[in-house]
Amino acid sequence: MGTFHDDKGALHGITVYAQAGDTVYVGRCDTLDDQRLVLHDADLHVEGQDGRTVDQYLQRSARFGIWKKHDTLIVPVAGLGPVRPLGELVRGGGAAAAPEATTTATAAAPAPAAASAAAAVAAASDAVSLTPGAAQEVRRLLVAEQRDGQGLRLGVAGGGCSGLVYKVEFDTRRDGDLVVPQDGFDVYLDRKSAIYLRGITVDHQAGLGGRGFQFRNPNATNTCGCGESFAV
Amino acid sequence: MPYPEQLVAPMRAELTSAGVRELRTAGEVDTWFAEKQGTSLLLVNSVCGCAAGSARPAVKLAINGSRKPDRVATVFAGQDVEATARARALIGDVPPSSPSIALLKDGELVHFVPRHLIEGQSAEVIAGELAAAFNQHC
Repeated sequence: MGTFHDDKGALHGITVYAQAGDTVYVGRCDTLDDQRLVLHDADLHVEGQDGRTVDQYLQRSARFGIWKKHDTLIVPVAGLGPVRPLGELVRGGGAAAAPEATTTATAAAPAPAAASAAAAVAAASDAVSLTPGAAQEVRRLLVAEQRDGQGLRLGVAGGGCSGLVYKVEFDTRRDGDLVVPQDGFDVYLDRKSAIYLRGITVDHQAGLGGRGFQFRNPNATNTCGCGESFAV
Repeated sequence: MPYPEQLVAPMRAELTSAGVRELRTAGEVDTWFAEKQGTSLLLVNSVCGCAAGSARPAVKLAINGSRKPDRVATVFAGQDVEATARARALIGDVPPSSPSIALLKDGELVHFVPRHLIEGQSAEVIAGELAAAFNQHC
């Protein structure tokens, strides 16, 4: 219910909200896919803006609506929390009140915390991939270094000859991480890094002539010869 | 840009045939709002099929109950632009929203149903919530 355009997802035409970091976006959902959330008649609120927290802003918006500030807002899905109908904040998340989004970014679940976690996993599922060789090498190192319960953290940081460098380390899951399940371990991405890493493929080249872990990043507009630094 | 009148005529008639008064001009809105005593319900109508398609029958259902507002009227957003703008200015300090439903008591806004609380809901659900508001205020 609520849409004449099935190809645009179950939330098309529905007023939704979604949070990224300290900013919440509210508007009528036009499109939600694995790349972007397109909102019409939209507003955004940054924590503390006009002396109000995001929660206070959302509570008032849920009760009375929003004052439109933008005809259209396009928000990258990477780094975005669950996209939910604004009306849920008044009525709750019952099935009758909450059309479930069919995209990977908005898998619905009954409890908010579970919804957030499930969406984080789903949103990241197409964010990065590991070749069989890279996954095998990660599993070997996790065992060799006795890192029980840890996974592979991928990230980016400023630096390198092309502006950004990849970060690779073993780590445990942190709050807000996007999670990409693998066979035998998980890959973790913080939400800011995920913006730069979406679509990346991690490979591993072993042997004397190999170069260890390698990154193929579709977002990179320039890379340096070492393969460890890139620009977007 | 307004839709062709022949397209929206059935959407007007759906309400007027149920006894809802349609306010087509700013003057008609001023006159209607000038009567402050008692309870008044205003539906901001819209061509939006997925929300207004539930809001219109919801109002019709709700005003068939035993407790209901003294007066019920509607303006048509996007069609009767001046009337809608005037009504929005008089409803109170709430963001413009269409469709939406405002319940006023003695001239003061006491219950407001913005578009996002109509979207995706059946007419019966919305009517039930309106009936609850009528029981409280009417």
